[in-house]
Amino acid sequence: MAVTELPRTQKPAAPRVAQMLAQGARRGAGYGLPLISFAFILGIWSLVGLSGVVKEAIFPAPWSVWSATVEMWANGTLQTDLAKSLGRAAVGFGIGATLGVTMGLLTGRVALVRTLLNPFLNLLRPIPAIALVPVAIVWFGIGEGSKYFVVSYTVFLTVWFNTHHGMQYVPDTYLRAARTLGASKLREFVTVVLPAAAPHIFAGIRLGVALAFLSLVAAELSGASSGIGFRLQEARQYVRTDRMFSLLIILGILGACADLVVHWIGKKLVHWEQG
Amino acid sequence: MMTDATQSRGRVEIDDVVIRFRGKQGPVTALDRTDHVLEPGTFTALIGPSGCGKSTLMNAIAGFVTPAEGALRLDGKPITGPSPEVGVIFQQYALFPWFTALNNVRFGLKQFGLSRRDEIDRARAALDEVGLGAHADKYPQQLSGGMKQRVAIARTFAVEPKVLLMDEPFGALDAQTRLVMHDLLLGIWRKHKATVLFVTHDVDEALLLADHVQVMSQAPGRIIRHYHLTQERPRALSRSGNELLEIRDEILGLLHPKTMLADTL
Repeated sequence: MAVTELPRTQKPAAPRVAQMLAQGARRGAGYGLPLISFAFILGIWSLVGLSGVVKEAIFPAPWSVWSATVEMWANGTLQTDLAKSLGRAAVGFGIGATLGVTMGLLTGRVALVRTLLNPFLNLLRPIPAIALVPVAIVWFGIGEGSKYFVVSYTVFLTVWFNTHHGMQYVPDTYLRAARTLGASKLREFVTVVLPAAAPHIFAGIRLGVALAFLSLVAAELSGASSGIGFRLQEARQYVRTDRMFSLLIILGILGACADLVVHWIGKKLVHWEQG
Repeated sequence: MMTDATQSRGRVEIDDVVIRFRGKQGPVTALDRTDHVLEPGTFTALIGPSGCGKSTLMNAIAGFVTPAEGALRLDGKPITGPSPEVGVIFQQYALFPWFTALNNVRFGLKQFGLSRRDEIDRARAALDEVGLGAHADKYPQQLSGGMKQRVAIARTFAVEPKVLLMDEPFGALDAQTRLVMHDLLLGIWRKHKATVLFVTHDVDEALLLADHVQVMSQAPGRIIRHYHLTQERPRALSRSGNELLEIRDEILGLLHPKTMLADTL
């Protein structure tokens, strides 16, 4: 769960720093603000490291984490782990999101499908991804299959849920307007219902990206021979806290970047929805 | 096409219609027995206290709501659901925010299976008619409230409906914009000659626009008074004579709850 904790502890610091540095920072660089926050946290972290109050093995200093990163890069494990994990997340996300949107459109639109599947899908939603890992390993082995399964399953449920609900909240006046303007059922669906639900679908996809990372690491932690999650588990066995920190920070950065990209694409596609 | 639309009728028969909704304690009557005819090409304003069922009646003519009793007919044919013969202009504009003004108008034209070129030309002409030719490529959220409603008017008239229903269309606009919209609406209506039913809670608006003003009672609503206005348009309450002012006072009296009590006693 440290996976989510990292970016979360950094976020609230940003507004506080902004207040302290007041106008100058605010006016100057909107893009610079996160950097100020990171510099602030890094500064405190360095001070803790320099003071020597906490043991390195428990809470490593920034420079130790940096050299652990360089070490993992030099022996090539970091690159392979990153490639493995990103590949798994991407494939799992792709399958899950595609199925999720398709199923959401079906349950949102077709009463029979809704009656047959909605209660069952809602029952599946509270099951945590990590609880699925044992089943996935029995079904698909310790290789890629089980990772794809866990990730796509998690992404599917979230994307389905949001798509389905987006379809429910299509404003009535849009449908009424479409019908008085002589739209066929198909045209109503493609040019009114879909765009009206699009903001919700994208919210689901954005959540799906975050969950893809979360469930992937869960799957890799217990039953894998490569990937960021596996490397974290391995670092625990050798009590390499510096490596753990390095991997956690990398996970945080990857997740944030993926989120930014999805958010940007969403804003381009759903351009009419501004704030 | 144009001549067809002007010659074809647009007679709405409201035949002993009662509309009920399911409430928590059984059915609630939203519209009491109403029997009325909207003659082709007339402009009727429907006025009444809020919640009296005037929007409900409009929704039934639009085909959004099915009456519990009675029948609704357009040119003798029963109204069974929404159709492009009955255009609706909503208070909240109901423009599609993912389409530009031009594509909002084109949306209604798709049903005619025109060529791309003709479709765009007709949509542009409709926007020119409401004075928005220069804003064809803007999205609704880039337009003011008055401009949005103009796009909605262009979109609805472009389809050449026989009947036009307007549910407090200018209710969200400021007084100045509203006057401009009145002129615009009357101008376009005179050209297209649809049968108009205009729901409002503004007495002055009803008197400035309509041939017929129907006043409704409090819920469950029914039509309690009818005025036939023959004054030349454009009207202004100050210069269209005392008669309009007298009618205005009467209607305000009818809408006032105390007078309504006295009326029924």
